[in-house]
Amino acid sequence: MSLAAGPGRGRVADGQLPDDLKLVVDKHVAYIKSLDTRRDELEYHLTEHLRVSGIYWGLTALHLLGQPDALPRAGVLDFVFSCLHENGGFGAAPGHDPHMLYTVSAVQILAMLNGFEELETKVPDGKMKIAKFISKLQQPDGTFAGDEWGETDTRFLYGAFNALSLLGLMPYQRPNDAPLIDVSAGTAHVKACQNFDGGFGLSPGAESHSGQVFTCLGILAIAGELDSHLGEEGKDRLGAWLSERQLESGGLNGRPEKLVDACYSWWVGSSMTMINRLHWLDQPRLTKFILECQDPDEGGIADRPGDMVDVFHTVFGIAGLSLMGYDGLLEVDPA
Amino acid sequence: MPPLHHTSNFTFIPTILSPHPKIPFQPSDKKEIQQAMSKYFEDPAWADITPLPLEDGGPNALAQIAYSAEYDELMQYLRAVMAANEYSPRVLALTEDLIELNPAHYTVWLYRFQCLVALQSDLQRELAWLNETALVHLKNYQIWHHRNLIVDRLGSSEGEARFVERMFERDAKNYHVWSYRQWLVTRFDLWEQGELEFTERMIESDVRNNSAWNHRWFIVNGREEQGVPGVSDPAIRAREIQFAQEAIGKAPHNESPWNYMRGIARKSGMALGHLREFVEQYASLAQPDKVRSSYALDFLVDILAEEKGGKEQAGEALDLLASKYDPIRKNYWEHKKDNLGLAAA
Ligand SMILES: [Zn+2]
Repeated sequence: MSLAAGPGRGRVADGQLPDDLKLVVDKHVAYIKSLDTRRDELEYHLTEHLRVSGIYWGLTALHLLGQPDALPRAGVLDFVFSCLHENGGFGAAPGHDPHMLYTVSAVQILAMLNGFEELETKVPDGKMKIAKFISKLQQPDGTFAGDEWGETDTRFLYGAFNALSLLGLMPYQRPNDAPLIDVSAGTAHVKACQNFDGGFGLSPGAESHSGQVFTCLGILAIAGELDSHLGEEGKDRLGAWLSERQLESGGLNGRPEKLVDACYSWWVGSSMTMINRLHWLDQPRLTKFILECQDPDEGGIADRPGDMVDVFHTVFGIAGLSLMGYDGLLEVDPA
Repeated sequence: MPPLHHTSNFTFIPTILSPHPKIPFQPSDKKEIQQAMSKYFEDPAWADITPLPLEDGGPNALAQIAYSAEYDELMQYLRAVMAANEYSPRVLALTEDLIELNPAHYTVWLYRFQCLVALQSDLQRELAWLNETALVHLKNYQIWHHRNLIVDRLGSSEGEARFVERMFERDAKNYHVWSYRQWLVTRFDLWEQGELEFTERMIESDVRNNSAWNHRWFIVNGREEQGVPGVSDPAIRAREIQFAQEAIGKAPHNESPWNYMRGIARKSGMALGHLREFVEQYASLAQPDKVRSSYALDFLVDILAEEKGGKEQAGEALDLLASKYDPIRKNYWEHKKDNLGLAAA
């Protein structure tokens, strides 16, 4: 899956009225499929350190577009297995060190493609091996490192919870066994990341950021602590901060005084869905903004109208539309 | 306990913070790659190494990684030295070349760090090199983690605050750099080493820089667990409220200082009524056509809602927000009315 940008740019087709904007489903499918063939480009290998995540994004977009079989399942699984290390972690591509982020993407792909059986055939006790790679990265303070070098942040914590729950190995999923991780230490850390403005940052004290709000809410939701921690008052405050991210163009930004960007349709939109306040956004305007970011001829979605399309913004733009119940898209789960 | 929102597989994780995996390569970078080509193959210092090509993952298309020839050569040497666990000056040089080509490759950074440690290299020199590299690759985030490891090992933050400030001259809202700054403050106890004045300078140069406002909050309130009071201390509270109000005076419609002031009031438990006079300079029901900021009007709502018999007026302010000053968030304003027990407009 190439993460190279382009070739097209997001725009409104010539002569098209704003009311006629539609998601060009077939073109997006063709665009994502074409990414796999763009290997002669420099950017293809310069983005190799993201490869497994790129495949996950492409695959997710295809699922949402109702074309889950557009990429060859066996080929994808082979690639994923070729990234697996002896210690149960996955690298971004063969020859890359195992890392939390890519392990999560690999597990997400396996879950989406029902590939756990193949995993167990290839690697006996494979699920548990992966889970142990993840659980060993938990630090005494509840956070998770991304790799053995100890960098920690809320993204890794969310990744750990997400992957373990997909593997069916979160403590609540196997109450009779010794827990692999300390859930409450993790959620305590997340709560410490909440700021005076109601949002959440990457670490305690770090600026509120929509992407981090998403990971923190996801963690609390998976742990079942979202309602008890925020309460209605906390949801109101956080929802107010999140809804303030919508600007006149209809698009959303990640933090105050930053540019709007199609991918925040997902980070903000899913966060608001998790706290039942998605309706505080002006959804028709957000929909229109996302559609203005697509290339109506070649497919793909860009961060903003006029910029080059890429797979990352394609999946998050589509996921944002799906959250809002856009006609013809599969429904997405906010966490 | 069953998870609330976790029934399907469609969940995402932001990869690469910001959360943008954009790889902004400039045409000039391509030239550099061409220059690097074959440098290693022809170099006698590398003659003992057989480059290690990537194993093919299988016959299917997706499993194959197509490298361009230029970058591939360096990666082959990296794989070979990693396979042999080689830590040497030439490995440092190799990782330096690779990082220049592609600073986002996390494996290269990790291996470089291991190598520096194994060789007991001069970490000051590493920092000097990092300074140049950071200024070229402004959006890269691996570099800040690497710097963190190096400075932590050095045990001294000398020159760091100044360097970070230079970074902010190029990109004053870089999330990784702000996180690094907070780490420096905590690790080396720099709370009272001019940090508050630093936030003042940053806010002075851009009153809308939310990162700087956040850092100020961190500096003022970040040591409560160690018993150093923040805005719960009345003198500090007064100073910070005045600071926010002066900023609002410069740019009334600016989310950051309004959030800051609201945060202070909430944290210190002060009655909002004390701020009424100030807020009414920017939004008052007596002059509904002259509201200068929807943030001020929203603040006024909360002031009125706290007052005896103020609910109806709060409702009026909310109607103004929904109809005139911030209609994009109409449903939010309706929700606030609902919370006050008022009927929708
Ligand atoms: Zn984006």
